[in-house]
Amino acid sequence: MASQAVLDPAASAAAQPQTDVIIETRNLSKVYRDFWGRQKVRALKALDLEVRRGEIFGLLGPNGSGKTTTIKLLLGLLFPTSGQALVFGKDASDVTKNERIGYLPEESYLYRFLNAEETLDFYGRLFDMPASVRRQRIADLIHLVKLDWAKRRQLKEYSKGMTRRIGLAQALINDPELIVLDEPTTGLDPIGCREMKDLIIDLREKGKTVLMCSHLLADVQDVCDRIAILHQGELKELGRVDSLLKIRDVTEIRASGLSDAAKEEIKAVIARHSGNLVSMDNPTSTLEELFLSIVQDSEARPGRRARVEG
Amino acid sequence: MNRRSFIRKVIYILCIGLLLIPLSYYSQPASVGAANQAVGAGKLAQLREKYKISEASLGEVDPAGETIKLATLGLRGVAVVMLWEKAKTSQMKEDWDGLQATLDQLTKLEPHFLTFWRHQAWNVSYNISVEWDDYHDRYRWVKEGIKLLLQGRRYNDHEPLLIYDIGWTTAQKMGTADEKVQYRRLFREDDDPEFPNHRLRPQNRRDNWLVGQEYYNEAVRLVEDRDASIHRMNPLVFYSEPAMCQIDYAIALEEDGVFEEKAKVGWMEADEYWTKYGAREMRSTIGIQYRLNDKEELEEKIAETATELEAMAPDLRKTISDERLAKLPAEEREVLEAPPDRRDPWRAFGIMMKLNVNHRDFAERITGPQHDKAIELADEVTRMQQLAELINHEREVVNFAYWRLRCRAEKTDAALEARRLLYVGKGLYENAQFEEARENYENAFSEWRKVVDEFPAMVDDTIGGTSLEEAVKGYVDVLKQLDEPFPKNFPIKDVVAAMLRRSSLPIPPEFLQDAVGTELGNPPAPPIRGLDMKDGGNKEAGEKEAEAKGPDSKEPAGKEPSKDDDKQPEAKSEASKDQAEASKENPAEGQKPEADSAKKPEGDEKAE
Amino acid sequence: MVLENQYPPYLEWLFSAGVSPGAFWIWLITMTGVILGGLLIAWVFSSIRYGPMKAGDLIFRTLVGLVGDLTHTSPRRVFALARLAVQESIRRRVLAAFIVFIVILLFAGWFLNPGTTDPAELYLSFVLTATTYLILFMALVLSSFSLPSDIQNKTIYTIVTKPVRPTEVVLGRAVGFSAVGTGLLALMGLFSYFFVVRTLDHTHELTADDLAPRAAGPGGVARPGLEGDTGFTRNHRHHIVLDENGHGYTEPSQDHFHEVTATTRDGQTEYRIGPALNQLKARVPLYGKLSFLDRGGRTTDKGINVGNEWGYRSYIEGGSQAAAIWRFSGLSAAEFPEGINLDMTLRVFRTFKGDVEKGISGSITLRNPQNPKVSYLLRNFVCKEFSIDRQNIPLKFKDKDKEVDLFRDVVSDDGQLDVIIGCLERAQFFGMARPDLYLFKREGTPWVNFVKGYVAIWLQMVLITTFGVMWSTFLNGPIAMLATVGTMVGGYFVGFLESLATNQAFGGGPLEATYRIVTQSNLMSELEKNVTTITAIWADKLLRIPLWIMAKLLPDLSSLSDVDYVADGYNIPLDVLSIHATMSLGFLVPVLILGFLFFKMREVAR
Repeated sequence: MASQAVLDPAASAAAQPQTDVIIETRNLSKVYRDFWGRQKVRALKALDLEVRRGEIFGLLGPNGSGKTTTIKLLLGLLFPTSGQALVFGKDASDVTKNERIGYLPEESYLYRFLNAEETLDFYGRLFDMPASVRRQRIADLIHLVKLDWAKRRQLKEYSKGMTRRIGLAQALINDPELIVLDEPTTGLDPIGCREMKDLIIDLREKGKTVLMCSHLLADVQDVCDRIAILHQGELKELGRVDSLLKIRDVTEIRASGLSDAAKEEIKAVIARHSGNLVSMDNPTSTLEELFLSIVQDSEARPGRRARVEG
Repeated sequence: MNRRSFIRKVIYILCIGLLLIPLSYYSQPASVGAANQAVGAGKLAQLREKYKISEASLGEVDPAGETIKLATLGLRGVAVVMLWEKAKTSQMKEDWDGLQATLDQLTKLEPHFLTFWRHQAWNVSYNISVEWDDYHDRYRWVKEGIKLLLQGRRYNDHEPLLIYDIGWTTAQKMGTADEKVQYRRLFREDDDPEFPNHRLRPQNRRDNWLVGQEYYNEAVRLVEDRDASIHRMNPLVFYSEPAMCQIDYAIALEEDGVFEEKAKVGWMEADEYWTKYGAREMRSTIGIQYRLNDKEELEEKIAETATELEAMAPDLRKTISDERLAKLPAEEREVLEAPPDRRDPWRAFGIMMKLNVNHRDFAERITGPQHDKAIELADEVTRMQQLAELINHEREVVNFAYWRLRCRAEKTDAALEARRLLYVGKGLYENAQFEEARENYENAFSEWRKVVDEFPAMVDDTIGGTSLEEAVKGYVDVLKQLDEPFPKNFPIKDVVAAMLRRSSLPIPPEFLQDAVGTELGNPPAPPIRGLDMKDGGNKEAGEKEAEAKGPDSKEPAGKEPSKDDDKQPEAKSEASKDQAEASKENPAEGQKPEADSAKKPEGDEKAE
Repeated sequence: MVLENQYPPYLEWLFSAGVSPGAFWIWLITMTGVILGGLLIAWVFSSIRYGPMKAGDLIFRTLVGLVGDLTHTSPRRVFALARLAVQESIRRRVLAAFIVFIVILLFAGWFLNPGTTDPAELYLSFVLTATTYLILFMALVLSSFSLPSDIQNKTIYTIVTKPVRPTEVVLGRAVGFSAVGTGLLALMGLFSYFFVVRTLDHTHELTADDLAPRAAGPGGVARPGLEGDTGFTRNHRHHIVLDENGHGYTEPSQDHFHEVTATTRDGQTEYRIGPALNQLKARVPLYGKLSFLDRGGRTTDKGINVGNEWGYRSYIEGGSQAAAIWRFSGLSAAEFPEGINLDMTLRVFRTFKGDVEKGISGSITLRNPQNPKVSYLLRNFVCKEFSIDRQNIPLKFKDKDKEVDLFRDVVSDDGQLDVIIGCLERAQFFGMARPDLYLFKREGTPWVNFVKGYVAIWLQMVLITTFGVMWSTFLNGPIAMLATVGTMVGGYFVGFLESLATNQAFGGGPLEATYRIVTQSNLMSELEKNVTTITAIWADKLLRIPLWIMAKLLPDLSSLSDVDYVADGYNIPLDVLSIHATMSLGFLVPVLILGFLFFKMREVAR
């Protein structure tokens, strides 16, 4: 849907209708204090973000970069030290927003003494869902996450992957508009990873908005429309994945079916322009490279928005 | 990392192993050596044996108690404190069942804590019992206290004091309380299965004094045979109890109207017991060995030896004294020579003491071949005098001379007859047969005359005298009924005069004035040694106190329950009108000399 | 039974109890004070961090949010959370508490002596106390560890990210654990009841040898039948009098009796003694209002104190005009068709020995409150202590030669009656407190009373659970448990705290007391004046303020317990139960609200 490359969030806010902004943070900061109120860690520094309807937004960063803090602030699990976090235009501490949110925590923190059905039933009740709707949804979701065969087993007997999947199911119990996924693929085998990613893309197809955070770059690269890279609590980079990874002064040409003469001709053209043909395309760097360069840059010049040389 | 933690664990295990070696050495079971002594390794077992702290050697092991102790998870101390507090609150709020349940729990938690048994048993027998008005209930609670002690004895078979307390409660509480008549009757009729052997006893042995005596004897045997400790209790008092019980038994028999052979045997046995007690070798607090009976023999010897010493140089003592007088400074001599009304008596006394020649000084002056012999004799006399003094002191603690005299007097036929006649006379009076009563009374007093003639010290009997006082009063009542004056030729005028001097006779003196008048004005005769009772004449005070069951019979506030002198407040309030019983307080407190001496002035005050 | 604080009727208690304002108004005032104080403290503290304006704004928004939370609380969500709490409790093996209880019952015989004067009281108070302790312990552990462990395990994340209000989380726990407690309590109650009934049940041996023909009655009138004593069981025996057929009832002993039946077979008569009857009781008393006359006949509130540490009873002197007067109201002839039974538990205090064999006698006089000049001597009696002395007031009786009709002459038109007790012997005393004489209305159903006793325990359990949950909203598990234990201990010693706060406790405040303990000086001795003591005394003066606040704010748990009623065999009046329930509610509401607030203000992800 809305897959416009907009680098400046402020401009986009002006350009887009307000309703399409699902998540908005304004100058969001979080300082952890100890028991005596002394400042310990500045976990998040003046974050400005916007997530729009229908996109998959990825928060990227090394451990301790502030991405989980951001999610917790957005969900109201933490209170901001300053700034604001708005979800659906409401303050993050407002409980009613939760009606439209599904959240899969980093590890599936579920009651291990319940079985899959009971778990989903319990969460369904928390949404005040009528019994018939609840039953239907539980059946659907268990089918969706392929746990029909184990739905009567207590979660303590589940493998990590299964727990992950039931966790996802509980996040979807209310058919949410916004799905917040914290490290969705950790602990999953390659096939599980793939399925999870397909699922996420599928959700977008259904018009859901997804906010995910991960330190696994490949995941983000595969699924996200836009990403924000955080390091040491600061926003380092924000933008569309494809545009972020494009290296502008390099052209990569790749072709097949060309005759040798044609190749010679192209080479000649390049030579005429005194260049070296490697292949013929705009190459993309890997996200990993981008990431590393941001980290290096930020450590060299702390406090500044990273500028990656294109 | 892993490697280091592995090494650390190995070191821990090694340390534990090392510590186990000495532990296993110490905790081996003791091997029994030649003289039944634990020897060799097994240090802990030896120590347990030495201090008698192993569960099994203390008495019965109680699985219930052990379980409950375990269930407190090491908080036994806290639990015990809370339960004591609860017991106190229950008592304050008169929740007797609650108190008993709490005590039951405490017995399980601290079965080897002597003070718990002694204190709470006393508390139940003495304090709780008087909270009830019906004497049946009171008796039941006295018994509860005894049962508690019996239970305590099962867990502590090495504690003579628990048995002593059973004896005390059975004998003294039941025998001297206000309700003694009722208690003694109930005790005789009791068939409580929880009282060991009681149902097996023949009816005539079911006397509280005799049963108490059985327990006292048992306690004495425990000390003699098993070398058990009586802790800080005065042995003088401890060993006197069986004999005292016999005396009390004999008195009680006569009060119950049992005479003839039984009373005679009772008193003869009492005399025997008392003599046996006097012959027991005891050790004073400073470690000197003595026998109470030895005093008279000792005094003879002292006199003999002193005479022998004196005979070595007949005039020497006077010579030395004169020499010293001559050497006195003029000022001191003046003091001595001053006329008595202007003399400073204390100074004079001090100077006189200087002139006094002791045996050693005397012997030193004897010269020649007899010198060594004289010194030897002098030292011996001094030592014997000191011993005699010690015995004298100890005798006073238990009023030895009085009870010996009393036993000897009471076992005479005259005394027995007098007692019988008095008893009969009283009955006749109550039956309104005044003439017959009078006759009996007068015969009784004539018989008593014989007793007093044989034992002149019995004239002023401050302890046993009360029963005689009552007899005189009874006689006076008879006379009043007959409307006759007190006879001028009353046989025991001297005894009555002594009563009047003690002002303990419940008769207006005017009534007796004519008959005994001449003797009334006399100054009180000097008290006879061994008869000057500390508590003499506090009858009225004693009676008043005895009746009031109230705050007085309770433990004074703020008092710690662990004191040894637990019996003191109660003994005081329970002190009966009978001085004989009142005097027993002193033996009871013999374990605590300061309490003993503190009481003396109080008694004297009241006597005046 | 001993009732140290007697409550007025429910409504009177709630809105106005004579001179003191009703409990409700006191509650209202306290709440207002607490709310204002709380707001002030909150404002001061947040001002330090955010500045006064922002602080005010924050507090306002929190309160508005709280109102929103309260109004939007959904029963379904609460139920779901409660159900989760139940499941969690079961998973955490709360049933172990039940097993412990059974074990305790099994071994109770080891330390309970059935031979006491009133074994029913002993057993009942034992089971009720044991149940109370166990259930409160369970409530304590469950409630104070649950939320903290959820927060630690982060399972709370998946809950608070649902549209769940803080109120629902807190309420869910409280309801859930209370439900678990209720179930356990019901089980324990059932087992306890059967335990008590089973253990109290016993019978006695009785053979023909134990019986003898009855002794002649007064005036040498021969009486038919047999009499004798039963065998000795559980430290008691009964005296029995049987009719010619060998049937009869034993005399009561240890507060119960048996039925005796005889069967004759082959000329041999066998006697059978039935089970113990009337062992459990639930007497329904009608209490009166007690006033005294002093020895000169003047009306006073209290009699004489004879020097007891416990000032519960006061005493009247015998042989004087001193008397104790109970005024009863609400009597009707319909309620007492067979006359009125009067139960007395007086105490005797002798100032001199008197006749040991005889008790102290007193008189029962009745009077019509509307016509106080005329009084009717019912009868004289000999005082029996520590047991209930039941005297019957017949519908018609004779005072001297005058025929008196109880309801016509003595009971006033508005159903009032004065019962006057006097002591007849000079210088001897009778002691009494208000509950020591009452009119026996009827015998209630013991098991119903037993259930009421459990309801009282239930109230305590709910209260402790709620406190536990409240503390656990912002403290971690062990600390929350300590806080709850502190609440319990404080709650059981509210009276003591109050005496500390008002400086009425002997030995001074906490610091002075510590000083005394360390220096081993007793409670009454004068303290020497030095820096330490003066500092201690001043610090104690300051400490009195928090102590006073604590004493006022903590629930008086000991007064919530109705164990004594059940154990002593008295019906728990509905008024008392309602008062206790209301008291509990008065604490539950603010404690829950506090819990909501704390949880709302808490960052669960920290």
